[in-house]
Amino acid sequence: MSKKNALFLSVVLLLLCVRSSAQVRTPDQMLINPDPKDWVTYGGSYNSQRYSQLKQVTTANASRLQAKWVYHVDGAEEGEVTPIVVNGVMYISGFNRLDAIDARSGNIIWRYQRQPASSTRQRGTAIYGNKVYVVTSDSHLIALDARVGGVRWDVKSEGGYTIAGGAPLVADGKVIVTGNRPGGFIQAYDAETGKHMWTWSALPKPGEQAYKTWGGATPAGAPIWLSGSYDPELGLLYYGTGQPNPQWTGQGREGDNLYSEAIVSLDVKTGTLKWHFQNTPHDVHDWDSMEIPVLVDASFRGQPRKLLLQANRNGFYYVLDRTNGQFLLGTPFVDKLDWATGLTPEGRPILAPGHEPSVKGTVTCPSTAGATNWPSPSYNPDTRYFYVVAHEGCGVNTITSSTDSESPTGYYESASDPWQAYVRAIDAFTGKRVWEYKAVRSNHYGPGLLSTAGGVLFAPEQFGQVSVLDAKTGQSLWHFNTGDVITAAPATYSVDGQQFFAIMSGTNVFAFGLSDSR
Amino acid sequence: MRASLVVAGLLVVCSAGSLLGQRGGGAGPQNPFLGNAQAISEGEDLYNQKCTTCHGAGGGGGEIGPAIVSGDRVDIGASDPQTFSIIKNGVPGTPMAPQRLPDTDIWKIVTYIHALRGTAIDNPLPGDVAHGEAVFWGKGQCGSCHMLSGRGGLTAPDLANIAGIRKSSSIVDALTKQQHRVYGSGGAHLRTLPTMDSYLPVFVTTADGKTIDGVLLNEDGYSLQMIGNDQQLHLFDKAKLRKVAVEPRSLMPTDYDKRLTPDEFKDLMAFLTRQGRVAPPATGRRGGPPEGER
Repeated sequence: MSKKNALFLSVVLLLLCVRSSAQVRTPDQMLINPDPKDWVTYGGSYNSQRYSQLKQVTTANASRLQAKWVYHVDGAEEGEVTPIVVNGVMYISGFNRLDAIDARSGNIIWRYQRQPASSTRQRGTAIYGNKVYVVTSDSHLIALDARVGGVRWDVKSEGGYTIAGGAPLVADGKVIVTGNRPGGFIQAYDAETGKHMWTWSALPKPGEQAYKTWGGATPAGAPIWLSGSYDPELGLLYYGTGQPNPQWTGQGREGDNLYSEAIVSLDVKTGTLKWHFQNTPHDVHDWDSMEIPVLVDASFRGQPRKLLLQANRNGFYYVLDRTNGQFLLGTPFVDKLDWATGLTPEGRPILAPGHEPSVKGTVTCPSTAGATNWPSPSYNPDTRYFYVVAHEGCGVNTITSSTDSESPTGYYESASDPWQAYVRAIDAFTGKRVWEYKAVRSNHYGPGLLSTAGGVLFAPEQFGQVSVLDAKTGQSLWHFNTGDVITAAPATYSVDGQQFFAIMSGTNVFAFGLSDSR
Repeated sequence: MRASLVVAGLLVVCSAGSLLGQRGGGAGPQNPFLGNAQAISEGEDLYNQKCTTCHGAGGGGGEIGPAIVSGDRVDIGASDPQTFSIIKNGVPGTPMAPQRLPDTDIWKIVTYIHALRGTAIDNPLPGDVAHGEAVFWGKGQCGSCHMLSGRGGLTAPDLANIAGIRKSSSIVDALTKQQHRVYGSGGAHLRTLPTMDSYLPVFVTTADGKTIDGVLLNEDGYSLQMIGNDQQLHLFDKAKLRKVAVEPRSLMPTDYDKRLTPDEFKDLMAFLTRQGRVAPPATGRRGGPPEGER
């Protein structure tokens, strides 16, 4: 063989190698660098930006969107699922149940139903290669064959923990699930076999440093009921934790009550705590810090950084360094915020007096339902805006005894002081508000958001309207009335050259696409 | 005013606990013999002595009393404690009189009725289960199409919970009779779009002449979903296909009672009627883990 021929053959072989390695992607690669046509996790991708590179639908043509199909999830109630979509198949989960549907036609492909049927809120599933995962109401984790729905493995949760309704997340070949009982926890199971790998408890044990932050009380609460985010380069998971117990009273648990009301970062391999940032030390308003952490790599104040963004239920928007939890920025994203006068340079709230729950009732803004809640925000790297559903509203917190920490506590809202919901665009790196879209009729909670490279923000509203807004200006470009309450978050995906937006409204999943793209 | 506000607050606090308390296996004493094969057998004898006159053999209905066992699980009305109470105390205003029997005998009858109402897993057939498993993977060649615990093929229904959804008789029929439909309640109103579980053979030719053979999972007028013999899921837009042919016949052989020896068949049934999970009692409408995820 001549040198020239040998060179030619080498190049051909090299090209073949490159081609075959590009074709055979491992389940991990499919999650780390997802195909833009898919929506592979609850938050769209590991960074939970809910940003898609799809751009068939643009600000110029969004007015041509139309409903393509509707799928009714029989027996559901207040659907809060974000569908995941891989290779043209959409997976819609509930406790004990998973429906696989043709994402282009809405036709059912298979359904898995483990008895008993449940209509309790559950927010999504996860996929790893040919497996999708179901959580059951008696806390089993089940892997199903993504092609036909057959059971591949079925394990009972380790240690008797109760798995909550947040979507599982597959990271580093592990299925990550969370829950509230007996206290907040995060668990990892091998995605291929179901073997328990580790459990992290948000409640410290006697002897641990954090145990001393409970004033002698037994740590309780810190539920974890929403999915998290993952940085595969750092090998770190990011989750938010909920309120310390007892709720709405700090009696008997003097101290910061770690690791409640915090963003926690865990080593995915071992489940050990890498760092924590507590948004609301010694919380008495039930402001779960659950809002999904959004991971962004960007220049911040002239320095390239690995950032974590969160609009917290307590009314502050936070920017942290996600390598170490360092607080970089914190600013209110609602006007009705009266419990703190600001944040210290370390990010700790400076409390305003008079906001402890009382027997006669104490008004605090935002209320327990929060300035925002589980509905996910979106970050768009093109506009560099952070989009969040923000609620302006207040609530009243009560206790029934000023001496007995075991006595009941409560939360109510005044009907004469109505709430107002907005979609707000915030400059992600200064926290300044850029524009807002005011929802007509409003209540707390509401739906999540997503934004795309087409320059649009897909913004459902709680009272059933689905709107598409211009991501730069907030101008409404298109709307559709789904006829039911929306408290889920949307997904976008592409099949056969058609971009779809999907959202669960009440008990139905709607899919929208352009009228003339096929 | 203040009191009512506190009450409202208390409601928020208390609702989670009370909802939890409502779930579970229903009120009343629990069946002490659930799944006990000897009790089922003794209960059958007692049922045949005391109950068949009115309710018919096997609970299928008689001249006086109604059927108490219907074709599928969804029609089960009474819980075990309720059935116990009806037998013990009768139903006033009907011919159903209180039965003067020891409580243990009543529970045995309840257990037999439970087994009649249940699926195969509630009352699995006798035989050598290990040998049945060997037949499943070996001479029976069931695994070439069906899957169990991740092993086997994808071109027929997964059998991991077959005994949890079918009665033993229906599993036997599926292997031995060409007509082996599973009947549900007549005239039942469709509440949800069902999946196709017929797994009919389908042959597809794409626009570029490629052929894909397999089984049909679902179709409508415009789209088609199938598992290919390549064990992959294929989704098609019918308008883009050159040809679609669906054969209206099942690939499932129905002569296993002839292909296998009587012992092999019996043991295979013993194995299959144990593949599944006993369904827990029905729960409240929501039926899930704790509230409070707000």
